[in-house]
Amino acid sequence: MTAQDGASRHNFWQKLQAIDRRWLYLVVWLVVMLPLIFPFRIRPKATPPVERLFQFIDTMPRDKALVLSIDYGPDTQAELQPMLVAFLRHAFAAGHRVGILACELTGLGLGENALRQVTAEFNVHAATRQDSVINGEDYAFWGWTTPYITIMLGMGERISKVFPVDYYGQKTESLPIMAHLKNYDDVGILVSIASSAIPQSWINLAQTQFGVRLGCGITAVSAADYYPYLNSGQFTGMLAGMKGAAEYEDLLLNRLKENGMDWGQRYRGTEAMSSQTAAHLAIMAFIIIGNIAFFASKRRKS
Amino acid sequence: MNVANPLTAQGAWVWVAAILTLAIFSFLYRENPLYRIAEHLYVGLANGYFITFYWHRVLMPTLFTPVAHNPSVVTKVWLICIAIIGAFYFTRFIPKISWLVRIPIAIVLGYSCGASIPRAVDAELIQQLRATILTRGHFAHWDTALWAIILLLGVIATISYFFFSAERKGVLKPVSYVGIIFIMVGFGASFGYTVMARISLFIGRLQFLLGDWLGIIK
Repeated sequence: MTAQDGASRHNFWQKLQAIDRRWLYLVVWLVVMLPLIFPFRIRPKATPPVERLFQFIDTMPRDKALVLSIDYGPDTQAELQPMLVAFLRHAFAAGHRVGILACELTGLGLGENALRQVTAEFNVHAATRQDSVINGEDYAFWGWTTPYITIMLGMGERISKVFPVDYYGQKTESLPIMAHLKNYDDVGILVSIASSAIPQSWINLAQTQFGVRLGCGITAVSAADYYPYLNSGQFTGMLAGMKGAAEYEDLLLNRLKENGMDWGQRYRGTEAMSSQTAAHLAIMAFIIIGNIAFFASKRRKS
Repeated sequence: MNVANPLTAQGAWVWVAAILTLAIFSFLYRENPLYRIAEHLYVGLANGYFITFYWHRVLMPTLFTPVAHNPSVVTKVWLICIAIIGAFYFTRFIPKISWLVRIPIAIVLGYSCGASIPRAVDAELIQQLRATILTRGHFAHWDTALWAIILLLGVIATISYFFFSAERKGVLKPVSYVGIIFIMVGFGASFGYTVMARISLFIGRLQFLLGDWLGIIK
């Protein structure tokens, strides 16, 4: 190797390290966009935490309700909204009563969107009253109140005291569903879908005092923080990020197919998996190339 | 391609959201007036949304309506006193009496700590300690036994790394070194999840742009 070859190679690695970040953004943009337009099939296999939560909800006694706490806002809806939609589809397909509340104010609109979407899916295909999903009978959207400590402790006594009127302004006590849903005793599992530390507060306040069973759907960025609670059994199951949503959707799709309820619904978590995989491969390539460039330049200097 | 119709009520809002999303993304190229407009619009909207909601969902039903219509004078007096204490938060803007802000802060802190601390000790200390204890059940399968042992070793090694009361020599040195390895593995896992989270958020926006707006994704 001549000295000129060595110098040009050194220049190449140095240029690579000083590359304009906008080229990287462009690569990531293309890597994420192309698989959305030309998807390749990725079916994520459900991990044990996701499967446990799915199985629990699937086999939960009919006299117990599923409570969903919307503890996120639009900034993380890409990861968490598919979870909310999947939980609602699962609960309505299994014939469970559902109570929905929001500890995050900005979660209200997202909750309403998800409810409108999923109830429309079921009601369009409903042949009888039993197949349809009705507000106040099959589900209640209690809305939001503050502070969250009041919600978590108050629901142990009486839910209708914490939420005197529901999101739509009806008296909560007057809803038929509330005759069977008075406090945590009537709740089979409460799932907190969150982008903050709210699930930890659900454990500290609601589970420690009232023994309510909990599950969580969280952003990937906070997943590592919640594994200890999963290991200790404080969470029955956990969905981590968009991949967790996709795993749950896969289990749900199989169940809906068995029940003849696969109506060609859109599964946003599953749909994103090919992009996610391609993007991860690109990031891994960036890390490897960046490290090679770093060590090559360092070696040259020494 | 089935682009959202901007002449319908829903389509118009999809167009507004798409244009604002692109305005925010334009920052990736460089700072520009479009980005700043979208940023200021977001801050203003968020503030307006929160203020309106707190007014209608908190202040009206829990303060103004009961004070106006509740027949009990005692309740009215209580509510007015609490409202006055709450209003002390605004004394921050008046330097001479800004010390009054400590009163509502002290009440909120006292209430929150009283409600949380005893339960947090059980949920975050006792339950977590219990989860590290090896039981006969863990040894029913080789894999659960292996993970339980690794978990126990990881907890001990990591805690020893944060033990600053003795010099790191003798047994403490290799054990705390193992602790560093566990901590680094934890950081690696967190970083991996962070990458996944950030990419997911970008995918979500592209799903909106390519699906809801342009109709390329069905």
